[in-house]
This record gives sequence, structure tokens and C-alpha cells, in this order.
Amino acid sequence: MRRFASRHPWWSAIIVVVAFILLWMMFAVWPEWLSDLIGSKKLFLNALFNGITLGGLYFLVASGFTLIFGLMRNVNLAHGSLYLLGGYVGYFVASWTGYWLLAFPAAFIVMALLGLLFQYFVFRRMEGEDLRQTLVTIGISIVVADLMLWSFGGDFYNINPPEWLSGPMDTFFITAVKSSGDYVFLRYPMVRVVIFAASVVIGLAMWIALNRTRIGMLIRAGVDDRDMLSATGVRIQLVFLGVFAFGAGLAGAAGVVGGTFQSLAPGEDTRFLLASLVVVIVGGMGSIPGTAIGALLVGVAEQFGSVYFPTYAVVLTFLIMVAVLAFRPQGIMGRS
Amino acid sequence: MALFEPHNISRIDRSPGWIERIPGPYWALAILLLIMPSLASDFVLFQIFGWSFILGMIALSLMFLAGYGGMVSVAQMSVAGIAGYMVAIFGESAIDQISMGWPWFVAIPLGILIAAILATCVGWLAVRTEGIYTIMITLAIAAAFFYFCRQNYTVFNGFSGFNGVLPPELFGVDWRTAVPFYYLCLFWAALYFLVVLYVSRSPFGLALQGVRDNPRRMAALGYNVTAHRVAAYTAASIPAATGGILLTWQSAQISPGTISIGPAIDILVVAIVGGLRHPIGPFIGAFVYVLLKTFAVDFLTSLGLSGERFQLIIGLGFLVIVFWSPDGVLGLWEKFRNWQKRDPLRGQEGGIE
Amino acid sequence: MTPSTATESALELRNVSKSFGALAALSDITFSVRPGERRAVLGSNGAGKTTLFNCITGDFPPTSGNIRFFGEDVTDFAPYERIRRGLRRTYQISLLFAGLSVADNVYLACRGVSRGRFSFIRPRRNDVLLQSAEELMHTVRIDGVRDHLVSELSYGQQRQLEIAMALAGAPRFILFDEPAAGLSPTERAELVNILTGLPAHIGFIIIEHDMDVALRVSDYVTMMHNGRVFKEGKPAEIEEDEEVQSLYLGGAHG
Repeated sequence: MRRFASRHPWWSAIIVVVAFILLWMMFAVWPEWLSDLIGSKKLFLNALFNGITLGGLYFLVASGFTLIFGLMRNVNLAHGSLYLLGGYVGYFVASWTGYWLLAFPAAFIVMALLGLLFQYFVFRRMEGEDLRQTLVTIGISIVVADLMLWSFGGDFYNINPPEWLSGPMDTFFITAVKSSGDYVFLRYPMVRVVIFAASVVIGLAMWIALNRTRIGMLIRAGVDDRDMLSATGVRIQLVFLGVFAFGAGLAGAAGVVGGTFQSLAPGEDTRFLLASLVVVIVGGMGSIPGTAIGALLVGVAEQFGSVYFPTYAVVLTFLIMVAVLAFRPQGIMGRS
Repeated sequence: MALFEPHNISRIDRSPGWIERIPGPYWALAILLLIMPSLASDFVLFQIFGWSFILGMIALSLMFLAGYGGMVSVAQMSVAGIAGYMVAIFGESAIDQISMGWPWFVAIPLGILIAAILATCVGWLAVRTEGIYTIMITLAIAAAFFYFCRQNYTVFNGFSGFNGVLPPELFGVDWRTAVPFYYLCLFWAALYFLVVLYVSRSPFGLALQGVRDNPRRMAALGYNVTAHRVAAYTAASIPAATGGILLTWQSAQISPGTISIGPAIDILVVAIVGGLRHPIGPFIGAFVYVLLKTFAVDFLTSLGLSGERFQLIIGLGFLVIVFWSPDGVLGLWEKFRNWQKRDPLRGQEGGIE
Repeated sequence: MTPSTATESALELRNVSKSFGALAALSDITFSVRPGERRAVLGSNGAGKTTLFNCITGDFPPTSGNIRFFGEDVTDFAPYERIRRGLRRTYQISLLFAGLSVADNVYLACRGVSRGRFSFIRPRRNDVLLQSAEELMHTVRIDGVRDHLVSELSYGQQRQLEIAMALAGAPRFILFDEPAAGLSPTERAELVNILTGLPAHIGFIIIEHDMDVALRVSDYVTMMHNGRVFKEGKPAEIEEDEEVQSLYLGGAHG
């Protein structure tokens, strides 16, 4: 942190100023002119929180993608299919058993197993041939997408959260002041807050696991130098299998989150694959903190875009990607 | 990756008599294609051949980039789509409140020019990274362009796009009838095929293949590698844009559906299935794709499956190709030829590997 | 230093350093080479010789310091811009286009330093560049295999092709990276002939482990050790120098 500040004084200053403005906009009671300028504070806060929570979802999907890429240089363009299929699995488990929470382990385990199959039957055979991997996984995603369309049809599926999570919760953010002088507080969907908190926990756990545990050291050593790792006698194929399973499982669990937040339908696989691509391109391939930053940026940009310039919301996301590519082709946290 | 082995760099030909050097099968193919209208029905000419030539041209632009330049761009369908959109916007369509109705000799060059400029921008962005990133970035660009066209109503007319986009009635011919359209597509497809073949052995083409095989060495020979790559995107945009305009005329409409992720990936599928080593590959791939797309329904229903499972067939076919023959149908053909040429005593394959 | 003295040298390095992370591959290299001068750079493996070449050609930019080429500061230039100004190099491990014929390799090299790199028109048979490519192949005596693919050439022929490509266009200064490595005695003799037969205005730096070759073609020697310039002098002085002998020659000759 301190190193960053001393190396990039201008960037640090800009980040501090933006953070300050954001905090002020979140906590202060807005003056008239600001509401007149950009609409009510409630709108702004909703867009911001939706963006942040959407960023949490993007992070869950993209972190698996970037982990798999970072360690194994495996490009899995079927990652979006894992997401959507995980969502469907979660939907059926949740509706059969009636327990929403069961959907997560179910989707995680099924997708992790599928990921193991991918790694064992596909990627292991074409190690280092990243273009061929890309093409094969594109093929897989075409096939899986059609199989899902065949099995589940074109309908929208929504996973309903349990009662204790549904409905809004009160927050301490003031959106307006009534004429009586009472404050109006923002009410925000409970389930989004809980899921966001969970994704933060998962992200932190991943970071800690990568940076503080033996297995994490192994994985990071593998990222830096695979030959050395296999030379030390570590059974690298086993580590690879584990990481692939974990990344795939994470995508599956994210599918449950997506099915709860939004809905599951054909085409969502491509959408989330693209979101993951943009997130990791922006954040930097193979970096977990980079993925978090990228996911937040993309999520917030998408939501602000859809609130303030609905026609060009996607273009805003794209512009972020262009800007990053133009000035930092390796991504915000990527190593050159 | 086997797709980009260096050994298909062509030598510069200095021997005279290029007509004699055209192999016999090419003559046969050319004559067959020229007399096709007397053999085939209007449906086959317009739907199957017309569409194959168009898809082939768009895939040819990808073959040029990927086969010679080592850059796999999924944005070629977007480039084609831009040209189609521009012709609809500058020329005439059923959406008169947007279409400007300019004459074709303004609208078409303008469309191709704008497509070329945008392709150059795509290239400039994409060449900042290498290899696998190129696919990801061009995929993201293609997606952004699709969503933009779908949501922009002032220029791109949003979800419904433009219909009633017709070719000009030049020389009193209705170019949308089967036979003229067939010859129109054949002309452009053959032209670009020959141009790509010719350019592959020109200084630009040779240098592009050098950049693919060893960019660092090319820089040490005085080549500006980045500029060469970007220029390849610009050059490749021309056949793609032409294909896009013809595609728009063929279906008389252009809409976001024409340029969505599905069609963008289909172009990749077509080029890979055909083979990236030779400009004939994309046309073979396009022909196979169109045949499948046209007759898969009958085939699937005969198997007792719903005709909607077309994507499944395409996906599985693509998987089989990339798994077992990364050089596509062309690669299979080469393997077959080598197998035929095999020395019976040593059992070794002929050809230089 | 005044500009006039700067233009006197073909190549001038001032305090050039290059580090890869914590590892300093080059530290504070300063020397200059006159136009037409032939300089040998000697040193054990890991002394930083090839890194030095990479800095000069711009394959890796130096971490700090300045490089001037015929008086022009080229430190921030892209490699191709330096090449177009008359700098050439060969690579220690042959970097050739294996799928191209010998003639096409040389033709690409000639085209790289002339106009028409982006030309879509195939060269005609009487193209000037094709002719100069023929001459170059003749110079390094590989015209007998002009139509062979590079992958079919012997190792020695590939090294000769490397040299032909470095001579393309109008080189003013060439960096030879171990051109004699792996060559037979006859091929070495031929190489020495080619190098000594270069036009007098072309200067070069040669990295060479073979002392015979290095000292026969060069008129000045720079010894490198651990990324630093360790000693400079005439070939005879270097051969006599005790420190050099103990450090390098002693080791190399057993």
C-alpha cells in the first residue's frame, strides 16, 4: 500500500479523492442541487449497492476462471456453462429438498466433479496448447448450452431464498429527510447483503489460503515455475485437479447465487463468461485481488450505467476494458 | 500449437508461366462452379452456394489473420456486420427515418471504409496482447458491439435492425434473384481467394507469417511488428466487410441477431473446421457448415430428435475436429495424402515435417 | 562531452545497467566503438555479453544508462528503428524462419531494411532486393542451397545464413553473437575470411569463445566479468595480461 502511494502519487491522490466523494455521497444527506442533478439519493444508493453485490457475484464466477488460468494456463471458455449448469442443479436441489442452503454444496460438488472430468479428459491432454484448449472449450460450451436448452427449455428459473432471507432489511443509510424531520433509511434486500458478505468471506479465505498455507504456497510456486514445482516431487497433477475442481465448483455455487439474485435462462452462460473475461482482463489474469477490483469496477459500472445511461450500460463496461488495455495491457494488478 | 506450424510459409515464386502451374483440380472446380447454375436449383444456388461463399469470405478474413498472422480474432463477424449496417444506414432500407438513401456507389465504399477503420481500432486494441488474450478481447469487443447495436435506436434501430436492404438494380439485373446473386457471390469469393493467395507471397504476407513465427526476429530485421499486425486487421476487414454487405442483401435485413456471439463463434467454427493453412479452408468449412445447417433438421428428425438440436451437431462436429484434426478438413486431407504417399518399405510419411 | 566527439563513435554506451529483478546482469557499462572498428567482447558464461547485445538492439531496454548510435540517442528506440539506422545482429541460437527457403529468409532480411515492407505486390524477377539477396548468399557461400528450406540446412549453413541476414541492406554496425560456436575448423576458417573481408566502413562487435577467431578478426578487446567491463586493450595486451589469463584464458584452455 505504502509502496503504491510513493510510486504513483497522482493515482493515489485520485483514488483517495474518489473514495472520499463516494463516502460523502453514501452518508451525507444530499443537498437539493445534487438530487436535482443526478436524481434521488435512493436511486444512487441502490445502484451503488446493486453494483457492489453484482460485483460480488462476478467475483465468485471470475475468481475460479482466473485461478485456473493463473495456475495452469488453462483457458476454460466453458466456465460460463459451469455457472449456468450449477445454477440449474441448485435450482432443482433447492426445490426438491426445500432447503436453499443445500443448493450451494450440491452445485459446488456436481460442478467440481465435472471440472475434474474436464481437467482429466480434456486439459491434461493438451497442456500448453492454449489455443486448442480455447477451441475445445468453445466446442464444449456450444454442446453444453444446447443440452441445457434441451433439458431445461428456454424458461426463466428463479431460485427463491428462504423466508428468513427474503424481504428487505433496514440499513443505516439515510436516503431523505421527511418534512417532520424524521430520517428515511434505505431498505435493501437482505439476501443480497448476505450473499455479498459470503463472497467477501470466500475471497478473503482464498487469499489467505493462497498466501498463508502450505498448499497455497505450492499453488503460487506452481504459478511462478511449474518445472521447479514438479521437480520438487509435488504431485502437480493432483494440485491441478484440486484447483480445477475448486474453480469449477465456485462457478457452480455462483450459479446458485445468480439464480437467486437474477434468473437462470439460456444465454446467461455467455453473459457470465463475457463478464468473467472482462473482469479478468481489467483486473489482471491470475490475480485474486485484481479479480476483486475488476469485478467491483465492472459490477458498479454496469449498474450505474443501467440507472444513469440505460442505453449504453454495456458500452461503459467496454470502455473500462479499453482504457485498461490501452494504458495497462496486463490488467490493473497483472504482472507484465 | 499445430495450427500455426511454420512450415506452410510459402516460397516466393519466380518461375514463369503461372497459368501452367495452376493444378488440374482447380480448373475442374472453377469450371464446375461456373456452370453450376445449369445444374442446381435456385434454392441451392441462393441458399447453399450463396451463403457458403459469403460465410467463406468472412471466415477467409479470419483465416488470413489466424493462419498467416497467428491472431485468432472472433470480431470478424462484427466487422462484417458494421459494413452491412452502414450500407443499410447510408443506402436504402425499409426504415426510412434512419436510412439516408444515398446511392450505392457512395454507400458501399463508405460502409467498407468504416468497417476497415473500426477493424483497425479492434486490431490496435487486440495486438496489445498476444495469443489467447486476443480471443478473449475480440470476444468481448464482439459482445459489446452486439449489445450496443441492440440498445441503440437512433442509429442502429435497436432490436429489430433494418429490413428491406436490397442490392442496387445495376445493369437492369435484380441481383437478389438466384443466378445473378450466385455469380455475384462467386465473383467476390473467388477474387478474395485469389488475392489472399497472391498476398500470402507478397512482402506483406511473408512478413506477416514471419511475425507469426518469430516476432522478435522480425523486429531485429527492421520490421515494425505491431504495425504489421494492425495492418493485417485492416487488410482482413475488406473481405469480411464485403461478405457482410452480401449477407445483408441475401437476407434483405441486418439486425443484432446477425452479429451476436453465436454467429461470431460460428465464423471461428467455420474457419477452424475448414482449416487455417490455406485460403480454400474457410470455403470448405463454410460449405460443410451451410450443408449441416440446411439439412441437419431432416437428419435429426430422421434420428427421432428435434430439429432444434442443430447446435448440438455443430458443437460435436467442431469438438471432433479440434480434438483429432486441429488443421480441420484440410488437415484430414493432407493426412490422407501423406498416407497414400507413404513409403511402403519404411512406413514413413511423405512430406516435410 | 561535445556533440562532435559523440558523433565520432559508431556506438557509444554510457553507464548502461540492466537488472532482472534483483539480479544485476549489467552494471555501469561504458565504452565506445569507432566506425569501422572491430571489437571482440570476451568473458565467461554469465558475464552479461548477450544481455549487452540485447540492450544495444533494444530487445530488452536497459534499466538505466544511454546508448548512442552514430551520435543519435537510441536508448528509447524500438528495435526495428535501430535496425533501420544500420544496426544489425546475429543470434547465438539461430532464429531463422525454418519453413522458408534460404532465399526467402535473406529476402525478408533485405526487405526489412528497405521500403515496401507493406507491399501487397509480389516481387518481380528482376527486383533489386532479390538481386541483392542473391549477392548476399554468394558472399557467405550458401547460394548452392538457395532453394532449400532452412530446416533442411546443416548447422554450419544456418550460421552462415544468419550472417547473410545480418549483412542485408546497408549495415553500418553489426553485433555477432558467437558466430563460430559449433562450427568445424574449415567452417571457422571460412567465417574468419568472411568477417575480415567485410567492407572497411562496417564496424562490429563479436562475442566469441574461440580465442583464435576472436583475436584474428578484432583490433580491440573488451573483457567482461560479472556484468562489468573488466579490461580493455589490444588483442596482444589482453593475451599477455595475467589477470585475464588467470580468470578466463586459464579456465578456457584447461
